[in-house]
This record gives sequence, structure tokens and C-alpha cells, in this order.
Amino acid sequence: MKRVAYCNPFVPPEWIAAHGLAPVWLMLDGRSAHGPEATRRGICPCVAALLARAADGIDADALVLTTVCDQMRYASAYLESQSGAAQFLMNVPSTWQASGPRALYRQELERLGAFLVKCGGRTPTNDQLAETIERYERERLRGWEKRPLMTARQWSETVLKMRGELPLDLPLCEGGRVDGIRLVVIGGPVLAEDGSFLDMIEEAGGWIVSDGTETGERTLPVRGRRERLQIDPLDELVRIYFDTIPDPFRRPNTVFYDWLGERIAAASARGVILRRYPFCDLWHGEAGRIRQWSPVPVLDLDVAVGDEGEGARTRGRIEAFLEMLA
Amino acid sequence: MTDSPRRITLDQWDDRYDQLRRGGLAEPSYGGCLRRHVDDGDTRLLDLVMDNSAASLRLWNFLLTEEGRLAAARRQGKVLVGAMKDLGTVPVMAFSLENVVAFYPDGAWWIPCIMQQNANLLEIADSLGVDDSFCPVRALLGAFVSEAHFPIPDQLVCSVGATCDDLSAIAQRLEGMGHAIHWWEVPHRRAPESDEEAVALPGIFSAPKSLVRFVQGELERVRDVLADRAGSPLTDDRLAAGIRRANQVRRLLAQLREEVFAAEAAPLPALEMLIAEMLAIHFCSDQQESAAVLEGLLAEARRRIREGVGVLAADAARVFWVNPVADLRMMNLLEEAGGRVCGTEYLFSHALDLIPEDLPPMEALARAALADPMVGSPVDRAERICHDGKRFGAEAVVVSAIPGASHCALEGAIIAEVVGGRLGVPVLEIEVPPITDSIRPTLQTRLEALVETVKTRRPP
Repeated sequence: MKRVAYCNPFVPPEWIAAHGLAPVWLMLDGRSAHGPEATRRGICPCVAALLARAADGIDADALVLTTVCDQMRYASAYLESQSGAAQFLMNVPSTWQASGPRALYRQELERLGAFLVKCGGRTPTNDQLAETIERYERERLRGWEKRPLMTARQWSETVLKMRGELPLDLPLCEGGRVDGIRLVVIGGPVLAEDGSFLDMIEEAGGWIVSDGTETGERTLPVRGRRERLQIDPLDELVRIYFDTIPDPFRRPNTVFYDWLGERIAAASARGVILRRYPFCDLWHGEAGRIRQWSPVPVLDLDVAVGDEGEGARTRGRIEAFLEMLA
Repeated sequence: MTDSPRRITLDQWDDRYDQLRRGGLAEPSYGGCLRRHVDDGDTRLLDLVMDNSAASLRLWNFLLTEEGRLAAARRQGKVLVGAMKDLGTVPVMAFSLENVVAFYPDGAWWIPCIMQQNANLLEIADSLGVDDSFCPVRALLGAFVSEAHFPIPDQLVCSVGATCDDLSAIAQRLEGMGHAIHWWEVPHRRAPESDEEAVALPGIFSAPKSLVRFVQGELERVRDVLADRAGSPLTDDRLAAGIRRANQVRRLLAQLREEVFAAEAAPLPALEMLIAEMLAIHFCSDQQESAAVLEGLLAEARRRIREGVGVLAADAARVFWVNPVADLRMMNLLEEAGGRVCGTEYLFSHALDLIPEDLPPMEALARAALADPMVGSPVDRAERICHDGKRFGAEAVVVSAIPGASHCALEGAIIAEVVGGRLGVPVLEIEVPPITDSIRPTLQTRLEALVETVKTRRPP
């Protein structure tokens, strides 16, 4: 089966799978960033990692990027100018309060569909799409059921698997945290090395009650409505992705704050950890506002991937934050 | 002091102003000597060399008195619209209404340069958590907090989508501080698919008709907001008239660019040309006066061309400049290094292209918005640079990166590759902070090396 790689949660894997292709979440590794372009000043580690990965060769037949982040949009142009590999840039509107952007997102899914057909896929029937959406939903529920038994790292990895091929290969769960200082973690995408960051929090006495990173549960779709899936499954796909995923890139991004407020309250979180990369303007721009807005203390962690001593510095800041909350 | 074209310092301008006055200089209401702006805090003028013509005096005075014009408009009860990011579309709509004045709050990005950071706008942005990893447009946060540089607009409108993340994040921060914003989506401009209807945009690009329709829908929402604020409908007739007025400014600017860039000896310096181009974005809050200022510059340029005189040596290296500079001093520096600007892409070439007058006005504006070089691929933008660079005979290209700007991290490499390959000219990428004094020797050396390279490549 042909593989279609992507690295943004606004690309529905159900849509790729319904076309008979294998969705692959492109796990990026910030430590592997290399090459003259990947190390240019101002490039965020995620884009640097993507460029490095592309330079090494992405193990997929096609790549789907999005316009969610401006640097990714430029990275798409850069990669297109460097290689002839099949690539699709999906326009994901930032605004959402009028009907036009929603319609545009749907059109973009249709355009992506045509691209997938060119890559060897087949146009799904409504029934096939509805069945695929339901299959992904069932697997996500299966993962959610196991969540209390997972460590933060295991849960993060499981959520990533939910974005790939099914069935889910669930980890051997030995029991997650049931105590500790309850935290919500937010921030950009998890890179390959970020598992240790999640471990660090747990080792320091934190209990991550909600993973709001870009690749965490925050960006998983809500449940589809069965009756709508029967009538217009593509429209329902638009609803569970475009209409409901809370993200700081949206304008206005009130839905993200609604989500964060709800998570803090529902999980009785005592603190928020914002983990962001240098030159990620979208998260950086929110940091000050989140600190002012949050009903609980916020640790704003700017992390430079690959810096010597970065791990010790991050660990020290997490420990200090948790000591303050204890 | 004579009337021969020269680039002069502010001290020299004091004498020149007296000389022009004695010669019967007729000035508009905002006229006066340039020195007063330094007294008001615009201290960077002390480090600049400026063109010595009366037309340039009017240009500088027009630029540096915008704050007063906006305050006067507020006193007159006009609706002030802050048009953010789109660089040329919403202001055309706003100026189609009689009681509306649009300005460009993002223009605050030049305040740290003009006032040599004495206004502390960047420090205010720092205090809000928006540090120097962002582009200098973060100064606008400081301007809103201090309320010392422009009146708080009655309505903020901001395009978002295929725009730089810096401005998007900063505008969202602004909204979080209580300044309501009407957001409108400008999508990434992609190439039409083989089975899609394509339409030509102003300039050299095309786009799928569906995208034009989408942007038209977004601009319809902006139209409603503006009309609501103004208390009068923004009809197609009014828009069509507004487009014609905007095109009058754009035509003047196009003529000015064509004639100045093509002239054997540069009749006007790069700095004044940069400021002239900026007028096209939002007309410096007075559309009619913008046209008058440009007419003055055009007349002066034509006089100099006719007389075969210029402000620079005729053998100056012909440089195409990409991106606006955060420090205006850079334009002087290029000329001191032996170069001249003969072509530009300051991120708003869509504000220079004529808006179609033979289309329904909202569709015409949508096409103009989609022609924005920043909403498309940087490869498209590089093609525009090639197109214009070839037309103006560019011998080199300078990509002037804006520190922290999300688009600058990668675009330089893309533009250098396409332009270098297509035009076969050297491409230099530099980064220009709001004040370049500390790195001036480095920048100067790099520009001198570029000029030397250009001259070495010329046929004997």
C-alpha cells in the first residue's frame, strides 16, 4: 500500500485511508537537523527537522503539508524547488467565524482527494468514508480506554499511532500515574526526542492530566455524529477537524482558550506547562497572554533542540515549577 | 547651494530649506523644515542623507506628519480604520467612503528606526512577551500601549491566513489586550489545477477562479464592517470610484518607478523612492495628497532626466532590492557603496499594480489581494523579481532579510536559487535590524563587494 506522510493534525488520516492509502504521521527529529538550510537563523526546529528528514529521504510515496504555520508553507515551497517528490500543500484557513473558510477547507479536502487518486488511491464512496471515520473513531476510543494505564510518553505515542494506519498497536501498559501534581501540557508538535521531556515531568512529580501539545489529545477529532455520517460523511469530517480542533493558530483563537479553560477546570489542573520552540511565533505570541489569562500558574518553557545542557536546564525549570506548586 | 541634485544631510537641509523659502517655495499645510521632526524625536534623520529637492522635502514632511493628520481626522469625527497586514487592499475600500480614513498600524515597525528606539516601543513589546525573535513589526504593540504615535483606530481589520506568523501572532496578542479585530482570510495562492478555471491577477500571477471568489466573499464581510462603521453603504459605484482614485496614485508611482529605475543616472535616491512606494499602501492617510506628492517627485525626476543629471554616478551598480529595510539608513549605505536601486519588491508589489477597472469592483479587489507576493509561493515571488529585474536591467539582487520574520527564514535561499539561476546575476542576502550602526562596517563591506563583483562582470 502506498504511504502518504503528513505532520499536521488538520490533515485527517481517515481521508487518506479512505482513498486506500496508508496515512503515516511523519515523526520529526529535531536532533537530526542538518544541512545549510536547516540551520539558518530563524528556522524553527520543526521545519529544520522536516528539511533534514527530506534531505535524507522521506520513507513515503507522497507528502502532505499545510499552511497552518507560515514556516511550513515556505518549507513546502523549498522542498518543491529542491525535489520532484509528490507533495501537496493543503490550505487550512485560520479564520472560522464565517461559512467561507469552512467551505474552503472542504474544497481543500476534495483537492487533496484528487491528489491522492493521482498517487494511486481511489475515490471513496460515502459509505467507505463513513466506515473509515467510524473505524478510526473506534480505535481512538480503544486507546482512550487504556489511557489511565499509560505513562505520559506512552499516551503521546499512542495518540500519534491514532494518526496512522490501523489497527492501533497499543503498548503494554504497566500503569500510569494516579497521583502527583496535576498538569496540562501545551505547545507545538512533539518531536522524536520529546518523550524524554514527558518523562522528565513525571519523574519530577508531575501528573499530565491533559496533553495539549500539537500532536497530543487536544488535536484529536471529536466523535462523529452517526446520522450525519450517513448523509454527508465528508461534511462530518470537516466538522470533527476544522470546526472543533482548538488551536492557537485560529483567528480569533478563542476556542483554544475555551478548551484550555475547560481542561484546567475539569482535570483540576494546578499548573500549565507551555513548551515552545524558538522562532515558533504562533506559540510564542500566546505565551504572555496565556500567563495573564490562566487561572493556574504557567511555566513557559522555550526549548532549543539539540543544545548541550538543554536537558538539564529544562529539568531544572520543571523541578522548580513543581516545587513551587507543591 | 545650487539646485543641482544632491544627497544632503539634515544640517545641510537647514540651509537648503532657507534657500528654497527665499526662492519662493510654496508649501502645503504640513510643510516646514525637516529639523522640526528631529525635535519631535525622529532622530534617525540626523544620520540620513536625503535628496535636496523641494519635491523630496514635501515627501518627507508628508510622511512625518501622518500622526497629526490622523489626530485631525479624529477631531473631525472621521472613522479611523487600522488596516493591518494586507498592504493595499482594505485601504482602497476604506478611502471609498467619504468619512473614513485608513492607516497602517504595522507601519509602526519603522518607529524604532526613525526614533532610534527612543520611543521604547520594542521594550514595551518585550514586556508583553513579544521579544526580538519576532520581526520589528512588534513595535505596533508598543504603539497601541503608549497611544503616542497614532490614535487608537475605531476599527481594526487584519488579513490572516497565508500571511507571516509574526503579524498574525502580534495581532492576536493585540486582540487579547482588548482591541477587537475583524479578521479576514487571505488563502495561500496556489497554481490552478489543470481542470480549474484560472483568472489573471494584476501583475504576472494567475489564480483559480474559486480562490478569487473566496477572497471576494471575505472582502464582502470587510465591506459590511466598513459600511456599518461609516454609517453609509459602500456601494459598487463608490468602490469603483475609490479604485479609480487608488489607481491614479498607482499610475503615478508606476511612472516614477519606470523612469527613475530606467534612467542612466539615478534621478532620485533609493531612500526617497522607498518612501514614495510606501504611499501606495495606505496613502499615508490622505489619498489626494499622496497623488500630489508623487506628481511633484515625478516632475522633479523628469526634469533631472531631461537635464541629464542625477544624484549618483552613472556607473553605479544596478541593484534590485527585495524586502523593505527596517533601518532606512541601508538605502544610503547601498549608494555609498557604489550601488543604486533599479527595481524593488518590498513585499507589496500588489499595491503598485493597477486594480482592474473593467471588472466588478469587489472581484477586482479580490484579484488584487491575491496578487500579494507574500500569499503565494516564494518561487512565484522570485519569478516576479526576475520579471521586474530583467525589465529594469538589474545587475545584482539584494535580499534584505527582516530579523525574526517568519517568511525570511527560508525565502532568501529560494529567491537566491531561482533568481541567481534565471537572471544570472549575483544575489546577496543580508539581515537588516532597525538600527544597523553596530554592524554597519560588515554591511558596507558586503555591499561594496557586491558592487565590485557587478563592475567586474561588466563587459570591457
